[in-house]
Amino acid sequence: MSATLALSSAGRRTPDMLRAIALPITLLVAWQLWAMTLPDDTRAPSPASVVAAFVRLCASGNLPISLAQSFGRVLVGFAIGLVLGVSLGTLMGASRAVRRNIEPIIESFRPIAPMAVLPIAILWFGTGTPAGLSIVGYAAFFPMLLSTAQGVSRTDRNLVQAARTMGVSRFRILAKVIVPAALPSILLGARLGMGVAWTAIIAAELAVGAKSGGGSSGGIGQMMFIFYSYSIDMNGIVVCMIVVGVVALFIDRLFRIAERHLIPWRQ
Amino acid sequence: MQRSIEIDSPLPVSPGNPARPTLAAKVAGYPAVLSGLVTLRSFAVFIAIWWAAAAWTHSPLQLPTPLSVLTALKSLAIDGEMLDNALTSFTRLAISMGIAVVVAVPLGFLMGLSERANAYIDPMVEVLRPISGIAWIPLALFIFGVGDVLPVFIMTYVACFPLLLNTIAGVRGTDRRLLAAARTMGVPQSRIVRHVVMPGALPTIMVGLRLAFAGAWSAIIAAELIGSPSGLGFAIEWYRQLLMSPKVFAYIIAIGAVGYSCDVALQALQRTLTPWARGTELA
Amino acid sequence: MSDTMTRPKLRLDHVTKEFAAPRTGLRTVAVSDVSLEIQAGDFVCIVGPSGCGKTTVMNMIAGLDKPSSGTIEIDGAPITGPGADRGVMFQDYALFPWLTVRDNIGFGLRNGTPGRGMAANDVEERISKHIELVRLGGAETKYPHQISGGMRQRVALARLLANGPDVLLMDEPLGALDAQTRLILQAELLRIWGETAPREERKTAVFITHDIAEAVFLSDSVVVMSSHPGRIRAVLPIDLPRPRDEHVRAHPRFAQLSEEIWELIRDEAYRAIA
Repeated sequence: MSATLALSSAGRRTPDMLRAIALPITLLVAWQLWAMTLPDDTRAPSPASVVAAFVRLCASGNLPISLAQSFGRVLVGFAIGLVLGVSLGTLMGASRAVRRNIEPIIESFRPIAPMAVLPIAILWFGTGTPAGLSIVGYAAFFPMLLSTAQGVSRTDRNLVQAARTMGVSRFRILAKVIVPAALPSILLGARLGMGVAWTAIIAAELAVGAKSGGGSSGGIGQMMFIFYSYSIDMNGIVVCMIVVGVVALFIDRLFRIAERHLIPWRQ
Repeated sequence: MQRSIEIDSPLPVSPGNPARPTLAAKVAGYPAVLSGLVTLRSFAVFIAIWWAAAAWTHSPLQLPTPLSVLTALKSLAIDGEMLDNALTSFTRLAISMGIAVVVAVPLGFLMGLSERANAYIDPMVEVLRPISGIAWIPLALFIFGVGDVLPVFIMTYVACFPLLLNTIAGVRGTDRRLLAAARTMGVPQSRIVRHVVMPGALPTIMVGLRLAFAGAWSAIIAAELIGSPSGLGFAIEWYRQLLMSPKVFAYIIAIGAVGYSCDVALQALQRTLTPWARGTELA
Repeated sequence: MSDTMTRPKLRLDHVTKEFAAPRTGLRTVAVSDVSLEIQAGDFVCIVGPSGCGKTTVMNMIAGLDKPSSGTIEIDGAPITGPGADRGVMFQDYALFPWLTVRDNIGFGLRNGTPGRGMAANDVEERISKHIELVRLGGAETKYPHQISGGMRQRVALARLLANGPDVLLMDEPLGALDAQTRLILQAELLRIWGETAPREERKTAVFITHDIAEAVFLSDSVVVMSSHPGRIRAVLPIDLPRPRDEHVRAHPRFAQLSEEIWELIRDEAYRAIA
């Protein structure tokens, strides 16, 4: 998809790399310069002190531990959402009757954001890990369900019929025709689901921290909350934000690579 | 730089799926009345299961009965508290969406039309995009404090990305043949943008708007829950702390209802603004 | 032996198929009162304007659709559902996009009834044999989207044959190809079907097309259908000598038969575009 309306292609003389980093570098420098005008005891973050905070948090082990906690929750919660979403989605996609009956319920839950069910999760499971898992599972469930259902229901009917004319059993058709046909959709759903799951766990940890006076939940989200309300460490918060972003990017890239390897029949 | 444009996502934009105008129309060969009855039956079954579960667990704190939730819903509706909170959230949402449109759409046109602008701005966008709106909450709490600005900031941030990316995609996706046709007719550049690129990009932008809304609506709950003394997100958490479960459930229903209505309204807007684009929308 | 002489391979007896339109529930008759007997080893083409129910007839023989009334028998036994004794080649080939050429050809052998009871080695050998048969050696590890239309068609043909069906059902298998490729593949199809083999060794083939010359070139007999509702106008035996090659197209009888078929469907064809 190249630009159809290249009004200006004269900027070719500036190397691409330079253009790419120009704006981020300018902003970083401006931020640093601004921070240096502030008094020494300022709490305002600056790029230099963010780097220092990053080193400090890594060395103390706090950051790796919190990251592992959050990531572990996302994996488990995502797995729950994946199993439920794919199995129910396959049913919905394969059977109109199931779809007709379940869809109204699904559609009414969909506009309810994961964070809105957090209070219920806390009522049910307390402020520990299970509450976080259920929120992550809930968040990942919908993209998984909907893209699986869509992938399955859009399976080329001819392929199913072709398999039937070769005497392939129903179960094998499901495993050998419908699932592979729906795989691109399922993987897309997994990528989107993992993305929202990561956002959801941060939100959940943050909110659990904020609303239960710290609690004992742990994780990056709670770490951010502690920096906010106890140690008032804005540099630490910025470190956490960057880590959240890097992990999100990492997840996205990982799934894209997986898609390329698992779907070699697509150009 | 590889960039993902969510436009090819077959996914739920979220509340309400654009590819499904009505349940009945989708399930081909199924009369609308009957489909309505099935929907009713599904809800009846759902409520029956809920009721049975509530009776069985017998723990009104964790799972209030549908009746008590309905009672709570009624009282919250009558004394106007729910409406106040819903209006507060909705106003914040509307302001955020407005700001996001004003910022992201022109920027998207700029980046879509000019290779150079894109080369400079795009990396910055790609750096910020993975940082979810939620992750900005603690920092934004420092900067803006607890109040109205925080949710608006978070939602604007969240809404900007889908709008921006879809605008760029829409502008770039404008049919080359239409552009060529306009050029051969001697139409000046500015008019091409106004009369060819804009209508061409509009359907994609509208999809971006719905994605933006979905993200913003999801983020407002978190933002209000953590950093605001009012709004729907605040209310559910407030009643959770008071252990008034029926009201928690009532507010969750309200969140779903407002989210759903907004999406229906956006779909209507989409159909009005881009009536020619039906069927090509995301989903 | 006498039994096969008297009993046709396929028998359609007063077959009617109605479809109920979704939503409105209006019933339309796709195929009306079709009776037809196809002998073992025959190559039969069904021609007719679009909407004459050709594909419906084929789907019913395949067992993918059930007749609303009437019966369809294979070797005297009623058809109740799809089975590997009747192989189908679909209009768009229905190749599995996620399988390579080789895996596509082997799909039925590995997953369906045709490969049941066969040793894995024999299955692979059979697949290789059919890859050679349709001259696809070297393209085995390619995916369908990486090969040309003509090659895809041959993959579909190899898959069809590898399953060893008694009856070949082909729904406009050459429809999507350009004219030259079509001519080449028509001749190749006859070779693979077994034109040079003795009659008893040939498969029974039902081939749907709207191309009259193609039908005449391939068949032992041509079934001409008309539409609204779909019914049989005529069955014409094609008495051109076999084996056939390009020269048969220059045969006066070829033109004569083509003309005869065109006479039968001309009015309807004109009406369709009017």
